[in-house]
Amino acid sequence: MSAVAAISDASADGRSVTPCKDRDASQLIDLFDAMNQAVLERAPNGSFLFKNTPAEWFRILSKEAEITDGRIELEGHSSYLDHFLSDATQWWSEGGAGWLHSGTWLEADAVGKDWPFAARAISRHGNAMLIIECVAEDYEAQVQLLQAAREHLLNEELLEREVHRRTAAIRQREEEIAIRLLAAAGMRDEETGSHVRRIGLFSATLAEALGWDAARTADIRVAAPMHDIGKIGIPDAVLLKPGRLTQDEFAIMKQHTVIGAKMLGDSDIPLLVMSREIALGHHERWDGSGYPQGLRGEEIPLTARIVALVDVYDAMLHRRVYKAPIAEAEVIATMTAASGAHFDPALFKVFLRILPALRRITASVQE
Amino acid sequence: MIQKKLCMVGSFGVGKTSLVKRYVQSIFSEKYHTTVGVKIDKKDVIVGPETIRMMIWDLAGDDAFARLRTTFVRGSAGYLLVADGTRTQTLDVALELNRQIQDATGKLPFVLVVNKFDLASAWEIDTNRITALEEAGVKVFRTSAKDGFGVESVFEHFAVLETLERAS
Repeated sequence: MSAVAAISDASADGRSVTPCKDRDASQLIDLFDAMNQAVLERAPNGSFLFKNTPAEWFRILSKEAEITDGRIELEGHSSYLDHFLSDATQWWSEGGAGWLHSGTWLEADAVGKDWPFAARAISRHGNAMLIIECVAEDYEAQVQLLQAAREHLLNEELLEREVHRRTAAIRQREEEIAIRLLAAAGMRDEETGSHVRRIGLFSATLAEALGWDAARTADIRVAAPMHDIGKIGIPDAVLLKPGRLTQDEFAIMKQHTVIGAKMLGDSDIPLLVMSREIALGHHERWDGSGYPQGLRGEEIPLTARIVALVDVYDAMLHRRVYKAPIAEAEVIATMTAASGAHFDPALFKVFLRILPALRRITASVQE
Repeated sequence: MIQKKLCMVGSFGVGKTSLVKRYVQSIFSEKYHTTVGVKIDKKDVIVGPETIRMMIWDLAGDDAFARLRTTFVRGSAGYLLVADGTRTQTLDVALELNRQIQDATGKLPFVLVVNKFDLASAWEIDTNRITALEEAGVKVFRTSAKDGFGVESVFEHFAVLETLERAS
């Protein structure tokens, strides 16, 4: 029996009705047929009554379910449709306005070909209506559009990753060159490669904790190790003197900050600008008693304040020709006493917070 | 036969459909085919004396063009949060989707699947992040839909969970 005939013979609640004579209704049914939509009305017992002719594709959905007198049991044949009918049942019972859309889903036919469907639940004059469509053409267009858009996004991601990878490789080269230059400079005094590496990593960790962006954080990791590069210009008699320096010798030693700044100056490369700032300012003190300029508080660039802190921390922790290593508790006690005089007190609080991370770096970067 | 619904959730292009195809049909295609809408596949798994029919809901990847409908997860025995090891942001998307699902449906069993292990040397997801998630109790699987590594284990994890649940 065709669905049109079914409409003529029965309503969803099973009562006999006057055969459909209305021309408009007939045209409406033709319209649904032409639009390739299946229109069903839900009966109180949960079965559905076709309101138009079910198209061939409906079998893909209903599988082996029988259509008797234009009625069908829809549940139990498609997991997705069952899920939607559960939502729709609640929606019908609440008399929802407009319609409830299922979203698109795919059902495989007997030979494994996927067919896209979409359904809508509508309440009309108290009747629970279900419209199901096979949306093959729209689906193909949507797939092509999304495929192109997502492939474009994947390509963009790929390019971005490549840029990041190459930028990282450049950074690594810069760092390697800087470390090797420092190692050459360090051949003349006691500074070790691991000390300068730790200073870079400590500074970057502190910068990260301060919320710096990735580029500036990466810069300070390379710039901080160059803080003492000016020592290359200090005469051996002063730099390598085992005992205490005289006042004149100390005045010469202090010049390493200015020499370093000159070596790194006159550049507009952000990394070198930062390196110069650090080389010049890392012996300044928060209370203005430092050198070479006697800057005070926030006059001292933040980069230099960071390196001042971590340089002292690392130098005290480790053995030098003139001193034994100091236990961390004692280092922290000494530095705490110097906070507000030598060190930026706010920065020192952040430093204390990230001590566990600094300890991990110390453990992993040894002589 | 017991039927259990599992949902595949994650950003686009992470390999959700490929994992299902590998598991259900033992096939893999290098070409990326975007999923639109929902595709349900099934596979019967025998665990001890029980046969469990896994109904695997492959949900379209989440992005600006298509948002995950968390109602799809309703009635699931669990879900797989899938990320692509070579794309860091896919882990962020997976964790965000997890939050949305938990807000909408409450706590359900889930696992984190970090796919494309065949490209492990190109992985960009920080291993510390994965370790931290594991330490926080998240079950993490490393898989390759391409060569099949770890794929069976993920789905069998849910089958075993089901039988354990029934046994208890």
